[in-house]
Amino acid sequence: MAKTAGPSKSELLKGTLDMLILQTLTVQPLHGYAIAQQIELLSDAVLTVEQGSLYPALERLQKRGWVTSKWGESPTGRRARYYTLTAAGRRQLGAEISDFDRVLVAINRVMRRA
Amino acid sequence: MLLLDMLRYRLRVLLRPGRHARELDEEIRFHLSLEAMQREHAARGRLSSTDARWAAQRRFGNLTVTKEEAREMAGLGFFDTARQDIRFALRSFLRTPGFTVVAVLTLAVGIGANTAIFSAVNAMLLRPLPFKAPDRLMLVNLTVPARGTNPPKEDAPWSYPKFVVFRKAQTVFESVTLWFSTQGTIRVGTDAERTSFELADGSYLPTLGVRPAIGRNFSPEEDAKPGGESVALLSDAFWQRRFNADSSVLGRSFTVDGSPVTIIGVLPPGFRGLSGRADVVISFMSQDAQQLGEAWSHGYELVARLKPGVTSAAAKSAVKRLGVVVDEAYRHPDIQNERWGALARELDGTRVDPVIRRSLLILLGAVGLVLLIACANVANLFLVRAAGRQREIAVRLAIGAGRRRLVRQLLTESIVLSMLGGLASAAVAWWGVKILAALNPVTSLRMQQLGGVGTVTFETIRLDPMAFAFAAFLTLLTGVIFGLVPALQATRPSLTGALKSDIDRSRLSRIRGLTSRNMLAVVEIALAVILLAGSGLMLRSLGKLLAVRPGFDPTQVLTMRFSLDGVGRDSLPPFYDQLVERLSGVPGVTNVGLTDCPPLNGGCNGTILVHRDRPAAARGTEPSVGVHWVTPGWFETMRVPLVRGRLFTNADRLGAQKVVLVSESAARAYWPGQDPVGRPVSVGQGGFYEDTAYVAGVVGDVRFGTLDSLPKPDVYISYYQSPRGRMMMFLRTAGDPRSAIAGARREIEALSPGVPLYDVRPMTERVADAVGYARFSALLLAAFAAVALALAALGTYGVISFGVSQRRKEIGVRVALGATRQSVVRLVVGQGIALAVAGCVIGVAGALATTGVLRSLLYGVEPSDPVTLVLIVGLLVTAVIVASWLPARRAASVDPSEALRG
Repeated sequence: MAKTAGPSKSELLKGTLDMLILQTLTVQPLHGYAIAQQIELLSDAVLTVEQGSLYPALERLQKRGWVTSKWGESPTGRRARYYTLTAAGRRQLGAEISDFDRVLVAINRVMRRA
Repeated sequence: MLLLDMLRYRLRVLLRPGRHARELDEEIRFHLSLEAMQREHAARGRLSSTDARWAAQRRFGNLTVTKEEAREMAGLGFFDTARQDIRFALRSFLRTPGFTVVAVLTLAVGIGANTAIFSAVNAMLLRPLPFKAPDRLMLVNLTVPARGTNPPKEDAPWSYPKFVVFRKAQTVFESVTLWFSTQGTIRVGTDAERTSFELADGSYLPTLGVRPAIGRNFSPEEDAKPGGESVALLSDAFWQRRFNADSSVLGRSFTVDGSPVTIIGVLPPGFRGLSGRADVVISFMSQDAQQLGEAWSHGYELVARLKPGVTSAAAKSAVKRLGVVVDEAYRHPDIQNERWGALARELDGTRVDPVIRRSLLILLGAVGLVLLIACANVANLFLVRAAGRQREIAVRLAIGAGRRRLVRQLLTESIVLSMLGGLASAAVAWWGVKILAALNPVTSLRMQQLGGVGTVTFETIRLDPMAFAFAAFLTLLTGVIFGLVPALQATRPSLTGALKSDIDRSRLSRIRGLTSRNMLAVVEIALAVILLAGSGLMLRSLGKLLAVRPGFDPTQVLTMRFSLDGVGRDSLPPFYDQLVERLSGVPGVTNVGLTDCPPLNGGCNGTILVHRDRPAAARGTEPSVGVHWVTPGWFETMRVPLVRGRLFTNADRLGAQKVVLVSESAARAYWPGQDPVGRPVSVGQGGFYEDTAYVAGVVGDVRFGTLDSLPKPDVYISYYQSPRGRMMMFLRTAGDPRSAIAGARREIEALSPGVPLYDVRPMTERVADAVGYARFSALLLAAFAAVALALAALGTYGVISFGVSQRRKEIGVRVALGATRQSVVRLVVGQGIALAVAGCVIGVAGALATTGVLRSLLYGVEPSDPVTLVLIVGLLVTAVIVASWLPARRAASVDPSEALRG
């Protein structure tokens, strides 16, 4: 069961996919395709994921209780699964962002001094 | 909230995996269609819809991998892999039916036999007694110090006055009750029947936590004082059988040994008292007031329920102190300074005789060894099979399968196989339990040997949820045990060896496989030696027991009893005269004799012997003897030899000079080096204590106790000089003793109409019963040992014949180079003998270390008996030689041209 890695335009930092998904869900519940679109859109297509890898990530987030899902109707009238951020997910996102910030600051500091 | 979300998600995934997969499909289809639509739209007609779909899929990535990963993330990966492995395992088992059948049958026998024996252990030793909170019930007995040659007793029964003192003084029990079990003739209308019943006081049912199903318990008035009204509760079974479950039965009456009893209630179904056999429970206080008032008439059992909060340890020490109180209230009238006491123990601890407990645990251990051997055998089969699959496994390892993954797959295979074995074992267990429950060796044992609780019998052995849980546990355990070794070994990373050509790989990689197979065979042989040694000892002990001469000739003797209610004491001698005369007239009957207590009864009535021609011994130190009532013809009927003097004659009657006969043991013990004939003695029973009787003769020893205990000194008294109502008839017949039953029944009916005959059996059957339990454990152990021997032989055969098939070419070369067939056979058989020797050395050491547990079960054989061990080793080596000779013959017939063609 070899896993195929999916680097497109830029390698997604390991573990950041979860954070990005959680971030896109802060405004409103979205379905999987919309999440993918959002991530691409918001990052000006710099950050792209192999869209398929979204779904294992969503299962993982549900298993941890950060996201719940519910079937609903999409604007086109077709059935779609909508993902909602839970309170626990929001807390997790906060924690991940501050972690990420700390790392960014540290990297920046290193890069400037060099 | 978080927990709830997680739980909901997990339940959804695990309970509806199919739906989860379908929803994921739908979600991905939706995603792809939106992406395709979006691309088509953005391209403004330059992209066909098909191309758009392809593009969307490329953008999405590998569909299958995504789905698999999603399932893995969702926690379903484990099940997917398991399902895959199980399917693969079943397919490969179907491809090798021979292997599968042998392995499944081996496991089925191993697991099934274990489940059956566990069911027996569960019923006899573990299952809670069928009373309310049985762990709170205690059994209390009187203790008697040692007297002369008599050992101290710790299980003496109570008398009513002593019980009253105890009940008044005690503070640790919520309730105490007095009861005993007996037999009698119950007459409902004109129908008479010999049954077991109990007498118990009003606290009996509340103490056990039992309520009458119909009617009521004994009232306080009925329970107040001795000589009260005779009232009874019927067991459910007796009520159904004799009163057709008539609910208007209350107030009706029946007779017990001639006296009327009124029915006041019916007991709940299944409850038959502490004896487990009672048809009727009669009020304790209905007994004769004078009898109950006798402080030295001991015959009642005391059971008590602990007060809440009182531990059994606290109760035990309280009872010890209470014993002193009771002793002070009733000092022994004759024996100075003899202090009786009281002892409490958990009722559950007395549920079975220690001998049964021990032998059941030994059988459980033995059957566990059988399962180990079975596991070793199946592991061996797996190793052989794995050797055939080495290439497959090597290829899989080489293309990147993890060792863990492969071990898991091989373990799944072994667990699937053990599951199949476990399923098949249900049949073996069902059959085994049926046999165990029917064997019921308990009927061959006296009640007192069985301990305090009659509700625990072999008849209660059944397959219950506990047994199934045990079987399921064993199934999983065996799957892991026999699967792990081959799995680890087969996947040992030696890729190159296995991938090389046939001839190359045969060397290095095989040697390791062969050694672990050899080791398994050695283990099997060693375990088989231990089992064979144990069963050999038991069989030898049984043989010695069967060879014991009981002192009489049991062949062609019929025994039977009936109860003599209604015959007065004084009319007994003429009644016996008539009885003997009538029975002697039955066609085929050659001799008739009566006695009060049959041989091999496990013990009879005993008393003291007083020498009238010597100074009186101090009270309590007089010689003790067993005392037996007989008619003059009994010795000839039983072929008990007269050693000196004379037997009783019809002239030894009431009014004539009292005479006794003594056994050889009594003569040796009490008249050493002298002739007892003509000596004056008194016997402490039967009106022979105040008078002086003379020894008329000496007869041979008879084992009245058990076959394995030496005869004790015995004294015989004639029924005609001391009338006694308790008697058993012995009829010697010319042919089959059963043929005399009908005639005897007719004569007794004519003499004493309506009395039920009971205990009608040939004497040989009674003798067989006396060794029933020894035979039961010896044969069961022998059966296990036989299975072990067969498995060990099979295992050796497997190892040797696999070795031969792998070495065909080598053997071919040897033959081509001039090796004779004989030397080839020697080579192969020698290999088997090497295994046997190694196994026997380990096994004999193991046997010497473990057969000590059998000591208390053996008669006339030492646990380290060298003869048994030598025989066992000989048997095993022979079996192994036969098992390796078959493949050796195949090896010898190898055509040398095979080696050249190769």
